[in-house]
Amino acid sequence: MSFSSHYSILLVAVPLAFAALCPIVGMWKRELCFPFSVAGAAAACFFIFSLWGKVISKGVVSYTPGGWKPPLGIQIRIDYVGLFMASIIGAVGLAVLVYSWRYVSRELDAEKIPYYYTLYMLLFASMLGFVVTGDIFNMFVFMEIFSISSYALVAITGQRRAVRAAFKYLLMGATSSVMVLLGIAFLYSTVGSLNMEDIAGRLAMGGYTSVASIALVLFLIGFAVKAALFPVHIWLPDAHSIAPSPISAVLSALVIKMGVLGILRIFFTVYTPGFAGIEGTWTALLQAIAWCAAISIVLASIMAIIQRDFKVMIAYSSIAHIGYILLGICMLTDKGLTGGLYNILAHALGKGCFFLVAGIIIYKHDLRRITSLRGLGRSMPVTAGAFAVASLSIVGLPPSAGFIAKWYILWGCLQKQHYVFMVMVLLGSLLSAIYCFRVVYYMFFVGSHSAEIDEGPATMIVPAASFAAATLFFGIFATLVLPSLSSAAQALLAG
Amino acid sequence: MRKAIMLLALAGIGVMLIYAVGEMPPMGDSGNPDKTHVAPRYLEHGEEEAGASNVVTAVILNYRGYDTMGEVAVIFCALCAVVAVLGREKTGLSRTHMDVSRVKASVVVRTTVRFLVPVIIFFAIYIILHGEETPGGGFQGGAIIGASIILFTLAFGLPESTRKIPLKSRVPLESFAVIAFLAAGFTGILFGANFLTYIMPGLSEHAAETIRQVMMMVIEIGIGFAGGIIFTSIMFAMIREDKYELQPDSS
Repeated sequence: MSFSSHYSILLVAVPLAFAALCPIVGMWKRELCFPFSVAGAAAACFFIFSLWGKVISKGVVSYTPGGWKPPLGIQIRIDYVGLFMASIIGAVGLAVLVYSWRYVSRELDAEKIPYYYTLYMLLFASMLGFVVTGDIFNMFVFMEIFSISSYALVAITGQRRAVRAAFKYLLMGATSSVMVLLGIAFLYSTVGSLNMEDIAGRLAMGGYTSVASIALVLFLIGFAVKAALFPVHIWLPDAHSIAPSPISAVLSALVIKMGVLGILRIFFTVYTPGFAGIEGTWTALLQAIAWCAAISIVLASIMAIIQRDFKVMIAYSSIAHIGYILLGICMLTDKGLTGGLYNILAHALGKGCFFLVAGIIIYKHDLRRITSLRGLGRSMPVTAGAFAVASLSIVGLPPSAGFIAKWYILWGCLQKQHYVFMVMVLLGSLLSAIYCFRVVYYMFFVGSHSAEIDEGPATMIVPAASFAAATLFFGIFATLVLPSLSSAAQALLAG
Repeated sequence: MRKAIMLLALAGIGVMLIYAVGEMPPMGDSGNPDKTHVAPRYLEHGEEEAGASNVVTAVILNYRGYDTMGEVAVIFCALCAVVAVLGREKTGLSRTHMDVSRVKASVVVRTTVRFLVPVIIFFAIYIILHGEETPGGGFQGGAIIGASIILFTLAFGLPESTRKIPLKSRVPLESFAVIAFLAAGFTGILFGANFLTYIMPGLSEHAAETIRQVMMMVIEIGIGFAGGIIFTSIMFAMIREDKYELQPDSS
């Protein structure tokens, strides 16, 4: 067995090892924590991107820790969707880690810094573990790690507001975890297995369909809270706006997408489409998600418009984008699914950039109100420029990644002739143009700041600017990603 | 209004759960799906395949060892969360309620604790090491170790406890469980098998069996000690919150 066959486990185990060693390194020399965790994240990125060749040639890469055959042991199963998500986590996670160096060394107490990096690496490793696993209980275990570490990272400054926001997040998150765990328990009692594919096979044999459909409802509630879908989104605006900016970026770009991936895995891999006995519940629930998603798009966009705080506005916009992603998925056509998945990438880059820009502005000037951003286009041209470019993607204008994503989502709605949803997607885009371009207007066209250039540190500017550049890159060269995403969509629809 | 919606949602979920429990396979029936698929294999072959006569240990450490590695990381993550939000204990600057209390723990309590703690720790070590054959194992033993140190702290106060188990020795021990698990995992890769494989290929049966026993033992001990120390550290971090100014000793 060659060493490269172990990449699928190493991409989880190596960052986890770096996380476990980080406090010890921090006890020895505190400044070493940052380069140490960057090394861990970079190693994970290497393993992730090396796997693409194998997944493209084989479709699915399977690995069994301990060597036990799937229903007996745990299976790591990397398919297109999993590796696509893992690549986003790797790239965004590494860039934000670099960004956070200057930010946390000023914002946090020195003794907390090693634990910041430890929790960050735990979050990073567990999200990777979550997306590559093929076992529902293993998925739950990793979900717990990334949930607990994100609660802690929201509260890490120790300010009263931050602890309150984190506590609200904890209450909702813990409830949703219980729902998922109950779902797993009910499902296990009816099929006696935890492996996703094995469950799908045994569910098809029939029996106890009512328990299995209730388990499906519980899974949906649980993952919907993690994804912050309307009406269980209420924890998100507080947690995402009060957290330290690099953490806001990771929460918005990556952590809420884990809820989406959970829904994808449960609805398409465990309970495959068109199953006898559960079909009615399955279709009804997807309809419900589609409506909730559509309401999310419009409602959250309106909420974003009426905000005065820059970061709260960006946080509301995330709820709207989760709506686009789930709406695309619920169309159940290959175009819609491709659009939904592409929006995961587009939103991760665009929203990541937004929060990083907000972080730079807070770091330099401690400004949070939108009206106070006037004239920043002159004194911080790169930062404000990155925001302007990323807002093209968030609104969905060509030539950005967001445009491709929305185009495919609309195409998906058209295939199923859901004209109401099309109107809502377009209305949402229009509303997002209002809230994004209002900020751009204040930055560039209302001037009062001095014209002297006063940019943030390079380690903060480069990640933000490269996210903005990436939204354009993936808008122009969308054909690099689209073929794998449409094979992912077809694989999901085939069950 | 808000309360009414909440009650309605709760009632809905409650009714749904009760209905689901009613529809579940009959409890204890040997023909149930969960007793006819993977469970029989664990019960019949667990001892020879996985190397632990306690089938629960065989499942936790071997068949689903990767999950247990995640669970250990959850415990480690909980400690990091507590320390990141509250900070480590600060001895010397402040004292806890217990330390400034007029009513000190009496001699009887202190003496009893001093006699009990070693016995409890000894029992915990037994639970950890005997986990392969009898109910018990690292998690349970770790909880007992943690409880014994907490008992000691309650009787003797935080400064005495942190002097006995200083921060410097606690930090490496806290990560020890995750590191032990990962080390066992990487050993498997080094020998050319999969991650977390206990039986190494290409060795004689006797050597492979010995390596498996040693690896399982190291993991159990790692979970036990790390678990105990993590409980202790969480408690130390929380005690500090009960802050009292250091008062001049009037007595």
